[in-house]
Parts: sequence; structure tokens; C-alpha cells
Amino acid sequence: MDVDTRKQGNVTVVSLAGKLDAVTSPAFEQQVRGTIDAGSHAIVVDLERLDYISSAGLRALLVLAKQVKAKGGKACLANVSGDVRSVFEMSGFSAIFELVDSVAVGVETVG
Amino acid sequence: MIKVEHLSKRFGELTVLRDINAEIARGEVVSIIGPSGCGKSTFLRCLNLLERPSGGSITIDGVDALAKGTDVPALRQKMNMVFQSFNLFSHLTVMENLTLAPIRLKGRGRQDAEREAMDLLKLVGLAEKANCFPDELSGGQRQRVAIARCLAMQPAVILFDEPTSALDPTMVREVLSVIRRLAREGMTMAIVTHEMDFARDVSNRVLYMDEGVIYEAGTPAEIFDAPRKPKTRAFINRTRSLNFQIRSADYDLYALEAAVATFAEKQLLPRQAQHHLQLLLEEVLQIYVPRLKSAVIDLSVSHSEKKDLLEVVLETPGMAGNLLAGDDLEDELGLTLIRNLTERIDFRVVEGAGRLELTVRK
Repeated sequence: MDVDTRKQGNVTVVSLAGKLDAVTSPAFEQQVRGTIDAGSHAIVVDLERLDYISSAGLRALLVLAKQVKAKGGKACLANVSGDVRSVFEMSGFSAIFELVDSVAVGVETVG
Repeated sequence: MIKVEHLSKRFGELTVLRDINAEIARGEVVSIIGPSGCGKSTFLRCLNLLERPSGGSITIDGVDALAKGTDVPALRQKMNMVFQSFNLFSHLTVMENLTLAPIRLKGRGRQDAEREAMDLLKLVGLAEKANCFPDELSGGQRQRVAIARCLAMQPAVILFDEPTSALDPTMVREVLSVIRRLAREGMTMAIVTHEMDFARDVSNRVLYMDEGVIYEAGTPAEIFDAPRKPKTRAFINRTRSLNFQIRSADYDLYALEAAVATFAEKQLLPRQAQHHLQLLLEEVLQIYVPRLKSAVIDLSVSHSEKKDLLEVVLETPGMAGNLLAGDDLEDELGLTLIRNLTERIDFRVVEGAGRLELTVRK
């Protein structure tokens, strides 16, 4: 899985590509923890190029959201579609996370 | 009428038939089915000694067919064969193909032989083709001529070796209808076929062969509606399987996924079914693997084309517990996904091993 992190104003946009599963989630979690610890508390996770997510990936996103919230910040997920969207629906996570249609809307939402 | 005991056939190092035991009674129609290469055709060819068996016995009307001094040509006249590739003489007319053997081998007069040949051509619906050459006929017509030629020798038994395999689907029906008619008239027949509906319809008995043995035998209803043995069930339901053994918590998830993806593509599974299958496997293994310690998991993915069923089975030899029912899970997330990805979840204990069966929602 590829993780690309960039700043858009005071918002950190984390773009994921590939698979967020039992194999890749631990590394993703660690990377995001580092980002939050470095002071990024407004995060948009862009899932446009994410092909696959399992419960391990959902847990990693949940950890991210909780950590951001604990720091008084805000996170949302952008471009959740296809198979990934269907996993969000099945798990009920679409009601737990704030899902937005684009990174631009996400930046406005958390910024 | 025909009794086969402990029949075996080897070609060099290759054993094609292992221990065949079968009986065919007068007037019986026996279909022989099974995967390609299982020995069906070899069995048939051994019956009329086109192949010499390596061991065992064949008794026809009480006479040992494998005894020294057996009149093989006479045996073949009694037990005539229809081949997949027709085997007609291309330089002879249809009429000449039918009358050649009765005149030469049975000493029949030409007029008698031709009159009977014409009756047989009427029987197979080809009287108007009597003066045609084989290459003027369609595949289905050629095979009907081959059947008529076989009947011209007034055999007691006809052996059919995949009589429709070389035919276009449109021509299969005309050949099968001729064989059906012979069955109605009480002809004794052994038919190697891949036409399952035909075998069900025409046979008194069905032999399912696999790996050189008669693996299961029964009435068409027994074999096609309620096969008892796993390989018969897999064949009848056109089931293909992928098996995988997981021996440690550090198993290679991506190697498993790649194998499953290849299997799913070969089975032409819809994209959503492929995704559901991959996700289900990961979720189940995420629950199972950490809790198994030193045990192994025998994992099988199977797809029944006929029943349109995609199933996953996990067996844990030496561990009888249902890990999906465990209350020590970190959360319900994996279980929630598993429930949404499946139409059926069934757990039971078979000979001390836990067996979890999941039917994938497609």
C-alpha cells in the first residue's frame, strides 16, 4: 500500500492507494500516529485510490479518528467508493465516520 | 451377460484401470461417466479387447473372454463398438459401409445384406443417403451411419465411446435420439458419455469412474440427485476446489489471495463475488489463525457451477471449538463483516475436527 501525506493549509491530507488490510494496517497506523504526534490534528484521509479494506484497515482508521479527537482535532474520509464503500456500509462505519465527496470538501470540513 | 472382475490395465508405468468390478445384464443400458482421463474409454476398449487387460477377468455369457484361443473377431461382432470419430470407410458409400462386414464376415448374400442395411438406415433416418459417401454427410449423419453399421452385425451389446464428443451441439440430439430408440427396443448398451442429461434419461444404471476405479455406481437418481461420495458430488455439481493449508500465524496472506484470485478468475466469478470471497477469507483467518497456536487449518474454496454456490470450508484437525462463537474477540467488527459476506454459516465437529462451512454471498 502507498501512503502519501501532504499539507493543504493547516490540514493534512493522507492519500491511500492499494490495500489496507491485516498486512498493511500496522505500518499505516504507525505512520499516522507519527503525523498526529507531530502536530497534525486536522486530517483528511483520501481513499480514492484505495482498492480494498478489511476490518484491520477499518480499525486503523478508527484509531486515527480517536487519536485526532483526543487531541481536540477533526478527521474525515474523502472519496469512499466501490468495494471500500460497500465494506463501510456492511460494517456500519459509514455512520461512524464523516464521509465527504472530495478532498476539497474534506479540507473545508476539518480545517 | 457381461461380468468384469478385478480388471486392470497398465500402459508401461501408468496404471489406467486399477480394480474394475462390474456387471451388465441383458437389456441393460449402463452409462459410464467421469472426468477426462479417468479410464472410461480404456475400460470400454478392454471389454471388446481393443486393449488387452493387464489383469482380472471378463466373462461374456459365461465364456472367459481373456482365455487363450478366444475368437476375438467373433467377440467383437457380439460386442460391437461405436467410436467418437465414426471410423467409417471414406472410399465406400454408406450402403457399402453397412454391408461390407455382414457380407465378408458373416457370409450374407448381397441382396439380403442390402435389404437389412436399408432397414437400418431407415431406423436411423438416413435411407436417402444410402449412395452418399461419408464426406458428403454431416458429423451427426456420419455417426448415425456408424450406429447403423454397428447394428448390421446384429451385436448382442453395443459399446458407445463418447459418441457425441466430436459433434456440434446441433447434431448431438439426432445421435442421442437414435441411441434412445435402441434403449427403448431393449438393446444392451454401455455408453461412455459426457452428456449428463442423456445419461440420466437413457440409463438403467450409471457408473461414475475416477482415477481408474468405479468410484460409485447406482441408478441415475442415486448418482445424479443424491451422490454419496465426495468426488461424485464434485463431478455432478461441476464443483472445482482450491485447497490451502495454513500452518502458522505467519502464513502468507498475499500468496493465498493470489491463488484465490486465480481460482476465481478461472471460475468466471463476478467481481463482487471475488471481492466478497477475498474479504471473507481474510476476516475468518484473522479470527482463526491467532487462536490456533500450533494447530493447522485446512482451507478449501469450492465453486459449484451447477448449483451456483461458492463455499469456504475451514477444518481444524485436533481442535473442535467454533472460534467464530468465541467471546474473546477484540471486537465484533470481523464477525459483522463475515455475517454480511455470507448466506450461510454452519459449524460442526467431524471426527474431532472443527468444520466451519460458509456460503459466500455473491
